[in-house]
Amino acid sequence: MADVAQELPGGQQFPPNTIDEAKRQRLLELVRGRAMARPTDLAEDEVMVWPSLVVVEAVCAVVFLLIITALSILVNGPLIDRANPNKTPNPSKAPWYFLNLQELLLHMNAGLAGVIVPTIALVAIAAIPYFDRSPLGVGILGTSAKGRKIIAFTVVYCVILLPAMIFFDELSGRTVFGIGRYLREQLGMPELIYNGILPAIVLVALIFIFVGIIKAIFRPTRRELFIALFTGFVATYVILTISGTAFRGEGQALAWPWDLLQIHH
Amino acid sequence: MRREQTLADRISGSALWRSVVRHGYPDTQRNQALIIASNVFLHIHPVKIKRYATKVTYTFCLGGLSFFLFLLLTGTGVLLMFYYVPSTDLAYQSMKDIQASVTFGQLMRNMHRWSAQGMVIAVFLHMCRVFYTGSYKPPREFNWVIGVILLVVTFLLSFTGYLLPWDQLSLWAITVGTEIGGSAPFVGSQVNMLLRGDYEIGQNALVRFYTLHVIFLPLAAAFLMAVHFWRIRKDGGISGPL
Repeated sequence: MADVAQELPGGQQFPPNTIDEAKRQRLLELVRGRAMARPTDLAEDEVMVWPSLVVVEAVCAVVFLLIITALSILVNGPLIDRANPNKTPNPSKAPWYFLNLQELLLHMNAGLAGVIVPTIALVAIAAIPYFDRSPLGVGILGTSAKGRKIIAFTVVYCVILLPAMIFFDELSGRTVFGIGRYLREQLGMPELIYNGILPAIVLVALIFIFVGIIKAIFRPTRRELFIALFTGFVATYVILTISGTAFRGEGQALAWPWDLLQIHH
Repeated sequence: MRREQTLADRISGSALWRSVVRHGYPDTQRNQALIIASNVFLHIHPVKIKRYATKVTYTFCLGGLSFFLFLLLTGTGVLLMFYYVPSTDLAYQSMKDIQASVTFGQLMRNMHRWSAQGMVIAVFLHMCRVFYTGSYKPPREFNWVIGVILLVVTFLLSFTGYLLPWDQLSLWAITVGTEIGGSAPFVGSQVNMLLRGDYEIGQNALVRFYTLHVIFLPLAAAFLMAVHFWRIRKDGGISGPL
């Protein structure tokens, strides 16, 4: 055995009698790879946070710092006359991000518009993940082509429906399209009914009709239905904010934005 | 061949420097990992991250922007606190002084104002981004809930700050705002009294809004943000396609 030259891969040969039998080990296999896993081992789809993410954050921070600084140099924050409790401006308006509620307040009972509706909206938004649990579509903006169609449809639907509703309720003297006035004047019902329960029924009915339309047109999955509802919320929030900010003048009557400029500072 | 030691090498090799900065220049993966792991401000990040998570068109930087604006608001807010007096007699005058006589006062006030408006928008848009990418789905349900609470805290931070300049805009916006809160069924008048500390918006309301604005709500927001960021990592990092 010791006399026979040993053949190695690649055709090389050990000369005989040069291997110490006592120390001899068998080579089983050669494996290409790292000795052990290290924390910096990167998978194919991974990058190092430094620099790949940190640089994005740094650039964003610098860009927005410059934008805010430039804006602050060019435009001063408003500071009008000293507060005077005896002089009520007309119209008096809440901060702009609450003007959606103030707009809603014109059309129904204050408790309903100012507290109950926003509370239900926030709780409903917080509860979304406990009702929509399927992991399908995670990480894809709008989930699917159908999801994006639903977003577009919902936005168009709200942009047409909500201003029309605001306008027609205004025409009826903000009495829930005249139904409220009928309940009050003809049937002598209390404020809670014609200004609270009636608009609440209208709101719930509107949501159910909307869901019905979405289901009939799109046959959505649960995720896609939630996309419709959430988009409806966002569109409503934005439209009511714009209406309350730019289209409400003296006595909260509907007005054109350019007519408000004289009042607003 | 060893290159000549530069001044920068001597500084970065000194005992003082090494006691502060534990890692070498981050041009190797080891040092890039150490710089993240050994820095208290950076260790909010993992050492490595999925490639899609660095795409600006996925997150639009909105969560980071919200946090950045919070930091900017904290910085400019502290500077404004050196001059602002939360008293109905002095508040308006101190605003005038900040704008007219304090060096860079007008700039700080403007940056605080516009960052605050920007933060409301950024947080809202961040919520939209998280929704439309389905990032609230399990296991991230609870972080979504915390996010909704952070949205409310952001609104409240902006709302409480609105009163502080004590001009006509402040007074009547807060009058309308607290009236909306006061219209709550059953507890309306109590809510109103809790916010105003009086039947009208006066000194009590100003102190309440000031305290909420400069201490309570920023601490609440910081606490919630700590949980919010921590849970991003515990829930498997930023969401992405399956």
